[in-house]
Amino acid sequence: MAETSEAKPSPSAPGGDAGGEEEKRDERMLECNICLDTARDAVVSMCGHLFCWPCLHQWLETRPSRQVCPVCKAAISRDKVIPLYGRGNTKQEDPRNKVPPRPAGQRTEPENNSGFPGFSFGEGFHMSFGIGAFPFGVFTSTFNFGDPRPSAAPRGTAQYEEEQFLSKIFLWVAILFVLWLIFA
Amino acid sequence: MSPSERRLQKELMSLMKEPPPGVTVDGDQASQNLTLWTIHMEGVPGTLYEGEKFELQFKFTNKYPFDSPEVTFIGNNIPVHPHVYSNGHICLSILTDDWSPALSVQSVCLSIVSMLSSCKEKKRPPDNSFYVKTCNKNPKKTKWWYHDDSV
Ligand SMILES: [Zn+2]
Ligand SMILES: [Zn+2]
Repeated sequence: MAETSEAKPSPSAPGGDAGGEEEKRDERMLECNICLDTARDAVVSMCGHLFCWPCLHQWLETRPSRQVCPVCKAAISRDKVIPLYGRGNTKQEDPRNKVPPRPAGQRTEPENNSGFPGFSFGEGFHMSFGIGAFPFGVFTSTFNFGDPRPSAAPRGTAQYEEEQFLSKIFLWVAILFVLWLIFA
Repeated sequence: MSPSERRLQKELMSLMKEPPPGVTVDGDQASQNLTLWTIHMEGVPGTLYEGEKFELQFKFTNKYPFDSPEVTFIGNNIPVHPHVYSNGHICLSILTDDWSPALSVQSVCLSIVSMLSSCKEKKRPPDNSFYVKTCNKNPKKTKWWYHDDSV
């Protein structure tokens, strides 16, 4: 019920004139706003907020439909952050090109999608389904030995033709698929 | 130490070192079990809750800070407030929909302090008895309907 104005994490350490206090505040300036550690593989958003790329990436994946800056709620996305390179960093590798270490089971980036939705390689269950059941199903529907399945459309109708056509396509896809599995 | 424990450890240190006024964390309990904290909170002088003492419980998952903490009032003094149910559940948008990993235990505590301090009339939410009978034990499972009445 209470829509609060977010209490923003204020870096307001009580201002001390001592050198140690000053140094501590300098360090805080370079802390990631998510893990509170010194930012590694640092990126900065258009609104000026600093994060580790792995931390920000995880947050963007947590709410893919609502990507906002954790600090100020401005719109934020992978393409709208700038990687920061310090002096010691000679390689200048864009942190966004590294896959952040993350727990198993998360979705991959959409552009890496393979053309076979539903078949995810590397997982035992899907693999065995792909090899075993798929070509078998095609086999029975392509050469039905004079015993049309009860659900099959009557011979000669447009629907029948379509079914034949589709099953041929599936046969070819299955053959290519098996060949690919063997030679890949 | 996992990233979530690391961050909780950092928050605990700073909360023990520089606690906001009226807020104290049970440091011994929290350092024994980083995923369950008890916070003692005092009613701010000059407000309706002056002189009262409350206890808040924070539960964290290993997805913290990406996942919000589960925050409830516990103990025998649950503040009487239009957004606090008698079972300790708090209707506060930053605890669910508006959570952000840049928020912290400290900022949640400050929000709750300000929520209490701005209260003009001590009363329970209108749907209190129904909610308390039907709700899940975890307030995060409640689909809160936040309406801004700036209390
Ligand atoms: Zn970080
Ligand atoms: Zn921002």
